[in-house]
Amino acid sequence: MKGRHYDLAVIGGGIHGGSVALFAARGGMDVILLERGALAREASGSNAGTLTMQMTRAALIPYALKAHEMWVKAPDWLGHDVGVVACDGLSLAFTEAEERLLTERAEARSAAGAPIRLVTPDEARGIEPGIGPGVRMASHCPIDGYANAYLTGLAYRRALREAGVRIREYTPVTGVRDAAGGFEINTASETIHAAQVVFTGGVWIEPMLAWLGVHLPIRTLVNQLSVTERMAPVMRTVLGIASGLLSLKQFPHGTVVIGGGWQGEGTRETGRHVTTHDSTVGNARLAVHALPALANGRIVRSWTGFEAETADALPAVGPVPGHPGAWVSGSVHSGYTSAPYIGRCLAQAILGAEPEMPLFPIDRLLPDAPDPRNGPLP
Amino acid sequence: MRTAFDLVVVGAGPAGGEAAIAAARAGLATCLVDEGPAPGGQVWRAPRTASARGSGPDADRRGGDDLRARLAASGATILQGAQVWDARPGFTLSIVGPDGASLLSAPRVVLATGATEHVAPFPGWTVPGVFGLAAATTLMKSQGTLPGRRIAVAGQGPLLVAVASKAIALGLRPVVVIDRNGIRDWSRAAPGFARDPAAMARGLGWIGRLAAARVPYRARSEIVGVDGTDTVRGIVVRPLDGGAERRFDVDTLYVGDGLAPADELLRLLGAAQESDPLQGPRAVCDADRRSSVPGLYVAGDGAGIRGAQSAAAAGRIAGLAAARDHGALTDPAFDAASRAPRRKLWRLARFADASCRLMRMPEASLDRIADQTILCRCEDVTAGEFRAAIADGARDLGQAKHFTRLGMGPCQGRMCLHAAAHLMRRETGALGDLRPTPRAPVRPVELGALIGTYDYDDIPVPKAAPL
Repeated sequence: MKGRHYDLAVIGGGIHGGSVALFAARGGMDVILLERGALAREASGSNAGTLTMQMTRAALIPYALKAHEMWVKAPDWLGHDVGVVACDGLSLAFTEAEERLLTERAEARSAAGAPIRLVTPDEARGIEPGIGPGVRMASHCPIDGYANAYLTGLAYRRALREAGVRIREYTPVTGVRDAAGGFEINTASETIHAAQVVFTGGVWIEPMLAWLGVHLPIRTLVNQLSVTERMAPVMRTVLGIASGLLSLKQFPHGTVVIGGGWQGEGTRETGRHVTTHDSTVGNARLAVHALPALANGRIVRSWTGFEAETADALPAVGPVPGHPGAWVSGSVHSGYTSAPYIGRCLAQAILGAEPEMPLFPIDRLLPDAPDPRNGPLP
Repeated sequence: MRTAFDLVVVGAGPAGGEAAIAAARAGLATCLVDEGPAPGGQVWRAPRTASARGSGPDADRRGGDDLRARLAASGATILQGAQVWDARPGFTLSIVGPDGASLLSAPRVVLATGATEHVAPFPGWTVPGVFGLAAATTLMKSQGTLPGRRIAVAGQGPLLVAVASKAIALGLRPVVVIDRNGIRDWSRAAPGFARDPAAMARGLGWIGRLAAARVPYRARSEIVGVDGTDTVRGIVVRPLDGGAERRFDVDTLYVGDGLAPADELLRLLGAAQESDPLQGPRAVCDADRRSSVPGLYVAGDGAGIRGAQSAAAAGRIAGLAAARDHGALTDPAFDAASRAPRRKLWRLARFADASCRLMRMPEASLDRIADQTILCRCEDVTAGEFRAAIADGARDLGQAKHFTRLGMGPCQGRMCLHAAAHLMRRETGALGDLRPTPRAPVRPVELGALIGTYDYDDIPVPKAAPL
């Protein structure tokens, strides 16, 4: 069976796949985007939408800063609104141990380029009057904010259509193999040929790379979130705590999203994930401790989503070794924040240019590679 | 308090109450959890005020009083004012009550969660002064009162007649009763209603009272719209079979288009449902009320709309089956004890069908919903915005929700998803259950109640994320 030939096939329609497809198409490529379900319905549409530096790994700060700038200007380059609000960010410390953690982390992120500084409880209260009485110290970053993650799919769908990307939703890919002049991509109903292919399947990049015989271990986190009904204004910043295990923000329509990476339960194999009682209650306690006015709010819904993590918790973004023309992008810790920029860098590489900032090649993470935790990135 | 039981029953209406009584009497350590202030559910709701108590006991009050007395003597642990907000198979139920969040565990659970009322959206259905028929019965039973001076009662099914008639008893003669059904529809229901002679007599009594009070009755008619934005000033009514629209001056409208199973917990636990034209999404279960999830039993309207009497019978069977499966009843004892409720269920099947047929969601009216009519009242999403989301590519309600916020408010789609699903099916040809993934909490939970009292050091904060 002979199918249509594309310059690039993107497998996985989340924010990574969407960004790579968008920039590759704008770079002149004929692009097809294949998605098992609908665009941005997994992690990309269900995450907390936080665009913060204070939960981003230090090594990723330069990327996150670039991406933050992109998010704020989303109407300019994406062409559609994802409800981005730029605001101050505060990370709080309630104990001595948290003060040490906060100091250490603020220094590391600041050294990486994030304009974070430590502030006293009074200064913090000047920035966010509603914070709890137990605050001992805070770190402040003027570059923070959030998007309405659930609008990602709608915004990208429109942008991708306008860029001429062929979107195939509800089309699971059953296998990919090397073929003359590129790759052969199989779905239930057809075979597609593409000169290059990029795997952007979130936690599913592990089984996707297995199609090419490459084993990239990916850990599946089950992050859970809760949202309140609309409340009168109770906050104006993105609030977190030193450990990174709380994120709070109030959207312009009044709902407050409570997150921070508390774990639900679920597996990549079943695709099912649920919240747990303990995480819901624990996360709620932390939230009310940080912002007491939340006690009057009501949670209307809690939900979960998968986050992918590599062995060293740094991104898997770059070429697939041994398969020229095959690429992967995912496991970008705080991936939603950085995705548009990382997608743009990867698209530059796919288009044959030097990426604006270095990618994160996966060679270090493959079984024959030395343990990535023992040395610096290649 | 004890937190591990042989059986937890959720919902203390006729179904849950009977299930708890049957299981507790058979010797199971049984816990009955209910969000209301007293057992009885919606239909057998206990009076809360002197005027409600003084209104004289009717059949529903007698049913409730009897249930409450037998529950009190049953030995079951009864948790009132306790909301089940999450559930996991096995079973663990997350509760929130006056003392914060806690867990109940049991190898068996009976779900008896009752029904939710539907309204087919029309322009102005969200104006203050428009109430549901079910809300009206709740107010009359618990408070002995009904807001409004010039009221209209509209919709379909037995509840329509019950509310109109009981309003007269409270001295509030409706300006008009607007019925989607006609005399012929009611006549067709009569043989079914005759299966429960007491209920039929009660219904005839309601109709007699309406006739005696000379309440104007508009058969085969529906509301076109409400006049007013902050308060109801009037309604416009249209005959379904053609004819002139007519305006009525009213200040309050009671309207309802039937019931749907309150199936949030059922769906959360992954129990199978099948679409049923009369009962709504009906829980798949065997004759002993075992659902598709091992250890999970279902009874009452939450498992498929059947009405109070059928609910009580099914609840009793579910409680007995749980006791039998637990080893507390022998097969012969189970067979003997479940014979009477089984017969009752069988006898009432046609009664329930007849009621449900009169309450069928008016699909033709849903097709006519104008673009500017609000579909999701929590988030003010109009039918036009919803249709635009479909045009943008939304193919299920979870996706439409992301595009429009439909169903993201406090009711989480209980009020709007039925009509939205209908529109989506009509426009896309989509099949199956289009509703979003079921998630906790089942009903909104106040954070202050959820967190209880705690020390910061006791919060089990997970290991810090990597730097």
